[in-house]
Amino acid sequence: MLRVIDLAVGYNHEPVIEKINLEVGAGSFVSLVGPSGSGKTSILRAVSGLLAPRAGRVELEGGSGSLGFLFQDDALLPWRSARENVALGLRIRKYSRPAAESEADGWLRRLGLGGFGGRFPHELSGGQRKRVAIAQILALKPKLLLMDEPFASLDAIVRTRITQELLDWVEREHLSVLLVTHDLEEALTVSDRIYLLSEGPPARVIRSYDVPIPRPRDIFSSRKHADFNPLLERLWRDMSAAMNLSEAAAAR
Amino acid sequence: MSYLKKAAVRRAVALIALVLLWEGLSRAGVINPFYAPPPSEVLRVVITLFVERTIFTHLEATFFASLVGLGVGLALGVVLGFAAALIPWVADVLEPIMLLLNAIPRVILAPLFVIWLGIEMPSKIALAVVLVAVLIFFAVYNGIKDVNQLLVDRVRTLGGGRRVLLREVYIPSVTAWVLGSLKVAVGFAFTGACVGEFVAATRGLGYLLQFAQSTYNAALTMALIFLIMAFVLLLFFCAEAVERRLLRWRYRGSGARAA
Repeated sequence: MLRVIDLAVGYNHEPVIEKINLEVGAGSFVSLVGPSGSGKTSILRAVSGLLAPRAGRVELEGGSGSLGFLFQDDALLPWRSARENVALGLRIRKYSRPAAESEADGWLRRLGLGGFGGRFPHELSGGQRKRVAIAQILALKPKLLLMDEPFASLDAIVRTRITQELLDWVEREHLSVLLVTHDLEEALTVSDRIYLLSEGPPARVIRSYDVPIPRPRDIFSSRKHADFNPLLERLWRDMSAAMNLSEAAAAR
Repeated sequence: MSYLKKAAVRRAVALIALVLLWEGLSRAGVINPFYAPPPSEVLRVVITLFVERTIFTHLEATFFASLVGLGVGLALGVVLGFAAALIPWVADVLEPIMLLLNAIPRVILAPLFVIWLGIEMPSKIALAVVLVAVLIFFAVYNGIKDVNQLLVDRVRTLGGGRRVLLREVYIPSVTAWVLGSLKVAVGFAFTGACVGEFVAATRGLGYLLQFAQSTYNAALTMALIFLIMAFVLLLFFCAEAVERRLLRWRYRGSGARAA
């Protein structure tokens, strides 16, 4: 579905990531973990076309139209209602207004927000806004979801509930996902494969891990799987080592 | 009684007490009515201005200059602000001029406009335009520069190009900034018209005020000051109604619920 080959990006003269190679197969859930500031978000931005790569390339089946990008912030237009926000992407794809809005209403209903279509973002709770943002993306029927710590700002209960719902959706629709997170447990719970980045700049992929927990997954029972804790320990150790290494380098 | 109601009652009582005190002191001769005529006298002058219909030609002149100045100033500020934000060479040329015009008290241009455009309406409109246009220019220019980059990224990842960005992000974002400055702009437009009339005119509230001052007519001066305050407040409320109508997404009650 997605292949990233020798990707390098940077801002001004500063390289942020380099020689990034990773792959997201059709229907697979892949996570990028790493220390803060390791350029995880830059990888997603480069894949989505928001950031031009300095080197390397991104091969994406179906082109940018098959992508859905869920930001850390819900990034809804504050002057548009929930319905209009969801309909926006459809309207960009030349749906008529009535068709786009009726489709948007359907997505809002599916995400438990039936009756909230006329509300503006500031009239919704954080969890509701996040669901609107998800509806906005899913309405475009993407094949690959890019997610940048999308639920980090939510409280634990809402976060768990929305993560499980999205996980169910991804499995049912066979979507591919590239998730950026700093939460190792979350990464292990939902992913088929995890890439660990070094602490940049410039950051690189230092290791990848296959997660053999079977699907369909449940957030709670995944954590009880025999491979969960050993993998978590390995991830912790490797990430700590990567951080110590760069701290030692900085101290020198 | 809510705190707001209590505060309103306190303010009303204080205002009435002040007016009564002023009336009493003026009538008792404690303060010289030549300098501070009693409120009843000021009110009588206001009523006379309306009953004898002498005020209407002046009101018409000032309102016409203010509203035309406001409209043209808004349009000019919006066009120049968009041009400067989107075309770098326009910004290079305009920014220093606008910064300079913003830094000086722009009413000092009034005598120049009289020399250029005469003592009739155009010089008053021009002053109102300059006052409003500079304010709106910065509202638009900063509105575009400070547009939420996340929203731009959101629209781009949904497949939107420049036209969609302009329609969905830039114009609404700038509208919020411009409407936020609308009340100040209304005050500026009125200031431009009145000061222009004050400098040289044949009619208008500013002209009448200048006449009252030159004849040492304190009652007429005060009557005109209160009238101008009342009309500016009226325009303020109109501007606020427009703002609330166009920015209803911001003002509509919050009904946040749990997820």
